[in-house]
Amino acid sequence: MAKQLLIDAYRGKRTASPPWVPYAGVHCAFLINEPADKMLKDPKLLAKGVVNAAKRYKADGIPLVFDLSVEANSVGCELKWWGDNVPSVTTHPCSNKTPADAGLKLPTKESGRWPVLYEAAKIAKPQLDDLDCVLMGLFCGPLTLASHLAGVRIFTDLYKNPDFAHEVIKFAGEVGAIAAGFYAEMGSEIIAIVDPVASQIKSETFQEFVTPNSQPAIKVIHDAGKTSSFFICGDCTKVMEDVCKIGTHGFAIDEQLNMNFVRDLARKHEVGFGGNLKLTLALSLGLLSPREDAIVSLAAGGHIGYTFAPG
Amino acid sequence: MATKEELLELLKDGVINYKEEQVKEAAQTAVDDGHPALEMIMDGLAAGMEVVGDLYERHEYFVPEVLMCADALYLGLDILRPHVPKSDSGAVAQVVIGSIQGDVHDIGKNLVKMMFDVAGWEVHDLGRDVPLENFVKEQLRTDAEVVAMSAMMTTTMLGMKKVIQMIKEKNPNVAIMLGGAPVTQDVANLFGADGYAESAGNAVQEGIKMIGRLREYEKKKAD
Ligand code: B12
Repeated sequence: MAKQLLIDAYRGKRTASPPWVPYAGVHCAFLINEPADKMLKDPKLLAKGVVNAAKRYKADGIPLVFDLSVEANSVGCELKWWGDNVPSVTTHPCSNKTPADAGLKLPTKESGRWPVLYEAAKIAKPQLDDLDCVLMGLFCGPLTLASHLAGVRIFTDLYKNPDFAHEVIKFAGEVGAIAAGFYAEMGSEIIAIVDPVASQIKSETFQEFVTPNSQPAIKVIHDAGKTSSFFICGDCTKVMEDVCKIGTHGFAIDEQLNMNFVRDLARKHEVGFGGNLKLTLALSLGLLSPREDAIVSLAAGGHIGYTFAPG
Repeated sequence: MATKEELLELLKDGVINYKEEQVKEAAQTAVDDGHPALEMIMDGLAAGMEVVGDLYERHEYFVPEVLMCADALYLGLDILRPHVPKSDSGAVAQVVIGSIQGDVHDIGKNLVKMMFDVAGWEVHDLGRDVPLENFVKEQLRTDAEVVAMSAMMTTTMLGMKKVIQMIKEKNPNVAIMLGGAPVTQDVANLFGADGYAESAGNAVQEGIKMIGRLREYEKKKAD
């Protein structure tokens, strides 16, 4: 396990071998025979789950949580909890009001589930340090958070009510910057904006709404001297140039993108990139051989700025 | 006065370029002028949505654009649907549709639903995060020919297999169709589904094919 190797790869540098990150998420709970909801609510169990997964998979880095409901919940969205999954957001306070009119306030360390995450990080961080494993901080990106706040209407508001959409997404970007600051304070060496919904829009929309509203968080991460990344998913070929130019040290993608395309793009922009083991077909269902799939990913990824990881 | 062809073009163009007012006006004119509503739906609105599907597949349109088009289409459908003579619509068939338990993703499901709406099916939409047994209950209540389930996550996808078992136990003649990003033809086969469609565009066609296959099978069994 090697922290520096991972940080180098995330920053687009050459590494002797590619580092590896299992984005374990609530799989950490499964590995310690606990339900996901119980683990996510209990700092001791969360720390135990994360450290256990890091050890078991000999990880170079591991996220504290991979749960995009934390930020939404910290500003007032309600959650439905699951034993085998991350919680889902059930209420959308901005479904008919702007964040200001809905009375939404920027989160503090005491908001929502942040106290649990702080406590868990305090326990996990020294143990991960002993393992030479990065504690990663992943938070919800502006468009995905806006879709939690306003619901699906945010997509059509981009056209029908652009002022409203701008207001909600700007607020979401500010919440993200605060979350990034929290993770920096917890000691995360790598902090990533995770915006899956940003894969569902065209390049112009990305540049208008996602790029500017990611800047506050990127500034916080870089001012704290940490490494930044932008996680996107799906077949987002058309916005990949924008992702490369957003200003983070690198990005991560999922199983739907072609690794050769992604590698060439990352090299061109001199940023780090990670992915794209096939989560569904290989790791979950075994319809593809996970071993062969891994070899394909590794062969395409190469040794410059590449992190081996599930998509 | 606009001709039928002009109105069809206005409806089609209005859906493709999400011009809501244009769609509403053209639909209302079509009704006022006594043009056949079903033709307006199929060769106007649905023809437009077909182009939208292509644009989406070619990555020229994305989710926001498709949802804008869907909004425009529904405005036209709301005006035209009441004017489709009962004998024409003859409720082609019924479908129970929903996003599986644990899954709140419903954008894709709603597009599939729209295609069934357009095709004149009676749609029973259970919404999202639908408890597994509710698919079974709703099928029994409505006697729908098709149950269509959507899953967007590897974890929730596994619930579909259980629903298939539960439904087939009670009623082997129901055609079950699966869809959603992690689902493939292989997954559908593995879970014992009758059909699978990659996109909303071919969901209805697949539904009809499935019913056809089941009827043939039933006939053979009876012979
Ligand atoms: C939008 C989105 C969301 C929105 C959903 C809004 C909504 N109301 O639907 C929000 C932000 C709420 C969300 C939340 C989450 N999401 Co999400 N989300 C997406 C995203 C970006 C796009 C999905 C989408 O709408 N696509 C557009 C539509 C048009 O396409 P489609 O759904 O594929 O549907 C088409 C076909 O599949 C087909 N189809 C669909 N259903 C059916 C059904 C039938 C019967 C048929 C025939 C066809 C069919 O027809 C449709 C039209 O052509 C995907 C990424 C992706 N690559 O898909 C992730 C994704 C699905 N989400 C994911 C995850 C993990 C989550 C969260 C758990 C995040 C978290 N960690 O907190 C939560 C979970 C919520 C929950 N419990 O369900 C993962 C799933 C990973 C996996 N393989 O298990 C994905 C793949 C992203 C990723 N790579 O990480 N998400």
